[in-house]
Amino acid sequence: MRHGARERDVSGRCYRSLFLVAGMAQQGRSMEAPAGSSTRPMGAGTLEGVGIPPGLQTDCETLLSRFQEMDSVRFEDFAELWRSMKFATIFCGKMRNLKKNMFTREALALAWCYFLPPYTFQIRVGALYLLYGLYNTQLCQPKQKIRVALKDWDEVIKFQQDLISAQHFDAAFVFRKLRLDRAFHFTAMPKLLSCRMKKKAQQAEVTQKFKDPNDRVMKLITSDVLEEMLNVHDHYQNMKHAISADKSTPDRALSLVKEDFFDNIKNIVLEHQDWHKERKNPSLKPKLKDGEEDGEGPSEEPERCERAVSLAKIKAKAFSAVAQVSKSRRHRQSKLDSSDSDSGSGQVQGKATKRKRTREPAEPAGRKQRPSRSKGDVPNERKEEKSLRLSMPVITEEEEESSDGLSKAEFTAPKRKRKH
Amino acid sequence: MAEDPQGGGAGGPQHPVPSGSHSSFPEYELPELHTRVFHVGAFGELWRGRLGAQDLSLNEPQAAAQPTDGEASNNGFEDAAVAEDLGCSLEAAAELRVVCGLDKLRCLGEDEDPEVIPENTDLVTLCVRKGLLDYREENITIDRACRQETFAYEMESHALGKKPENPADMIEEGESILSVNILYPVIFNKHREHKPYQTVLVLGSQKLTELRDSICCVSDLQIGGEFSNAPDQAPEHISKDLYKSAFFYFEGTFYNDKRYPECRDLSRTIIEWSESHDRGYGKFQTARMEDFTFNDLNIKLGFPYLYCHQGDCEHVVVITDIRLVHHDDCLDRTLYPLLTKKHWLWTRKCFVCKMYTARWVTNNDTFAPEDPCFFCDVCFRMLHYDSEGNKLGEFLAYPYVDPGTFN
Repeated sequence: MRHGARERDVSGRCYRSLFLVAGMAQQGRSMEAPAGSSTRPMGAGTLEGVGIPPGLQTDCETLLSRFQEMDSVRFEDFAELWRSMKFATIFCGKMRNLKKNMFTREALALAWCYFLPPYTFQIRVGALYLLYGLYNTQLCQPKQKIRVALKDWDEVIKFQQDLISAQHFDAAFVFRKLRLDRAFHFTAMPKLLSCRMKKKAQQAEVTQKFKDPNDRVMKLITSDVLEEMLNVHDHYQNMKHAISADKSTPDRALSLVKEDFFDNIKNIVLEHQDWHKERKNPSLKPKLKDGEEDGEGPSEEPERCERAVSLAKIKAKAFSAVAQVSKSRRHRQSKLDSSDSDSGSGQVQGKATKRKRTREPAEPAGRKQRPSRSKGDVPNERKEEKSLRLSMPVITEEEEESSDGLSKAEFTAPKRKRKH
Repeated sequence: MAEDPQGGGAGGPQHPVPSGSHSSFPEYELPELHTRVFHVGAFGELWRGRLGAQDLSLNEPQAAAQPTDGEASNNGFEDAAVAEDLGCSLEAAAELRVVCGLDKLRCLGEDEDPEVIPENTDLVTLCVRKGLLDYREENITIDRACRQETFAYEMESHALGKKPENPADMIEEGESILSVNILYPVIFNKHREHKPYQTVLVLGSQKLTELRDSICCVSDLQIGGEFSNAPDQAPEHISKDLYKSAFFYFEGTFYNDKRYPECRDLSRTIIEWSESHDRGYGKFQTARMEDFTFNDLNIKLGFPYLYCHQGDCEHVVVITDIRLVHHDDCLDRTLYPLLTKKHWLWTRKCFVCKMYTARWVTNNDTFAPEDPCFFCDVCFRMLHYDSEGNKLGEFLAYPYVDPGTFN
């Protein structure tokens, strides 16, 4: 699915350049991350815009996938790619200071994601070079820093040690240099958090192509291969029976493979899988956490299940008994129900809050600006609050359009409940 | 893992499993929204335990300091350090310096302008940006930063890299900086979607009271009462001086400001309310605001807390980030709490001159076309009083402090 999206992406590039307005660029963005990522505030046109600037992810992934194709972890190769793509020009083009800072921060944060698991070793090295490149070619003054969360640091240090022990000195050198240049902000969390100001959590998709396969053995011996082996083995045994004089037991001369060869290999595979799970277990908890935050949890989970299920299937088949595969994964019903009941009770609640709202201004007398009365054309139902007035002027809300003229502001109690 | 001070037992758990109690490892409770509770001071300690002196150093970067003189010897020194750190030979280190040099990343020639997007680029980001630029060129006559943008940038960067005049005011290495968003209490209808807030940076070692004193809110400046008969007597003493009580609420504890004898325990009502019936809020604690620094707190990042003053002026407070101080930050601790972002509020102008920010508001005003009506000080006096300062006509006048006063 992700692959398909990427292909569309690349082909979409020709008309991406036609995008004129930020609104259209938004469309482009949503093409890049088709799964899960809902509308994201744009960095393109707005001042406030937080989120990955349009196109940036595509560019980074293009660079990284080309690096992946080179099958190398050398900095020379990366630098050559970097230059051929003129990647440093990504900071070009009349960005004003505020925008420049924001863009650079986003770019570094994006590149940082590829530097952490679950990406393959090669992609992580590529991401390290990418960070090095972006950090050093940025135009901000002072330079924007790379945010490292505490929970990721151990992983990073481990990676650096892997680099050194594998004698990938160029990558280790680059990391050492970044660290010495104090390119990092040592933070609590990868992003600034504030639960009020964001409407929907955005989900970052893990690019499957770059992902480190969980288990290379399982990749080699898939359930299909196992099944094939079982079939071949059965067939072989049957043939032996067929050509032997005594149909019930094959000729001893034909006994060249171990009879229980299939069971053995199956057990070994299962054992390996158990071991693999076991090994992952200590770090499984934080791993899953990461997964949740990246939104890759759900995509990984079914995959693992699938494998286990198909293994179980083969096992069952080997003992010639058919297992039922449970497919029940329905967790949406309850949601429908709850929304239903919500709308049912909504009316009652609405009334309640309304009543509460009208009463509200009366209680705290300590406020300095209390609504007391409102004259003029006030198109609001809360005019009747007049009766509760204290000897204080009403300050009505000023509308942006009428900032200079007569303020036809609508009445708003200073502390009103949010309407949804 | 090697630098992990806690993972002493080899292969021990890398992350302390959150046992519901206060782990100081920040972790998501709700992904992307807020973390679990952790202790700010212990968190800083964890980072400092993992980092070396060089990471924490706030001194000038040395490498850049001496680029010209004795470059050869400097390089030699550099190479030796690299060789030692990476465990490779000196020749390899020298080669690395060349191979991984920054000049290898240069894409623009000397004569190329970084403002101009190069032709025939493959980068999608640039295509999008070019489209926007073309659009701007076609539709906007003068393309420049608007006031708000300039303002926001200046707010963000004005203190960056500042060094204290007195070395004693230098921030300590490894100090943590918290970003605190303080929302405005009055929620206008037009701010329904976007809550205005200001962002303040505070140091972990600062007291809660230091943040409290730095928060400027109009309700501290209000002057109560009607003064149409004696406009000059609009008292100097504002609410801030009259009502000094305030509290912060973090994780089940009310931190009350008790620095002055007249301070009242504003949290008492809430606690009594909560305890009068079993309302399911558990037991609230109280503490003295002036006794606590941010390092002493247990908090969740991204979680809404409260600052309340003037009896009922309530600001939602969100701590969005904690990080260690960096060489490029403002290093003068006297400048903290440091305001880095402020919402630009509309100011109400005087109804007469339409120029100055309103200082008075009137009700039942025989001279005014509107009720209420706003005036600046000069216009107010000119219209409502004769040259001897006698009141003319009928009206009620109240001193008015505009929320945009702090723009």
